[in-house]
Amino acid sequence: MILVVGGRASGKRQFVRDRLGYRADQMAPALLDGCPVVCDLQAMLRTEAEIEPLLAKLREKEVVICDEIGCGVVPVDPAERAWREAVGRLCSRLAAEAEQVFRLCCGLAIQLKG
Amino acid sequence: MLSLIYGGAACGKSAFAEALALREGGPHLYLATMQPMGEDSLRRIERHRRMRRGRGFETVEWYTDIGSFSPPSDATVLLECLGNLLANEMFLPEGAGEDALEAVCGGLDRLMERCRHLVVVSNDVGRDGFAYTAETLRYIQWLGAINRHLAAQADRVVELVCGLPVWMRGEA
Repeated sequence: MILVVGGRASGKRQFVRDRLGYRADQMAPALLDGCPVVCDLQAMLRTEAEIEPLLAKLREKEVVICDEIGCGVVPVDPAERAWREAVGRLCSRLAAEAEQVFRLCCGLAIQLKG
Repeated sequence: MLSLIYGGAACGKSAFAEALALREGGPHLYLATMQPMGEDSLRRIERHRRMRRGRGFETVEWYTDIGSFSPPSDATVLLECLGNLLANEMFLPEGAGEDALEAVCGGLDRLMERCRHLVVVSNDVGRDGFAYTAETLRYIQWLGAINRHLAAQADRVVELVCGLPVWMRGEA
């Protein structure tokens, strides 16, 4: 599994298309059978309460794309705090297991692992 | 020659960009895009003026339609910053409004053809996960698109972290 992270509009999907060779219709913000790329993992975590089954399914994917969201002030709203925490923790676990990790910045990729 | 200097708030972008611009040939023009509105922006502008004092920059204030600015062809131009320029185009009455993204990208393309070296300071605004209004989200999307547009053709792309440069393209 390859993990691709970066801020909003940093060029993550473009990188997965142009550099990793996937088509737009191979990406979905959901766990779809036969779809090799999961994008917008941060949005999926808004509704996903069970982390372990989700992680097990993400392991089977070829590419996981997630926004970096942890760089602002700690949110006042407890649900926002929990969401931010969940995204960061899950990305750390995915990165630990991933063969490769890329971080996008202004459309340029830096390989953090692999 | 195009250099993109990028980073979060108060990470040392300006100081780094100024030093980089001064390594290049002159004349040196500082293209300021922040409109002096309110106490905070006045303080910020004064701080940047102090930093540049005596360093040989001529300051030009330019808030919208950056492509209509014509520097001397041998000039090194330091444009600060894209976050303000895009906000001006989107939200000022004289800005391009719905066409702000095209106006900024097209204007920057024209500007870089007209000078020897363009150094652009831009902002990382997309990593806090905050649920903004649709208008602000569009601003974030567009600023990201402009950053990608510049980075794709830049000779140097440098992210600043705590005042330290991370060279993503080019070298010190």
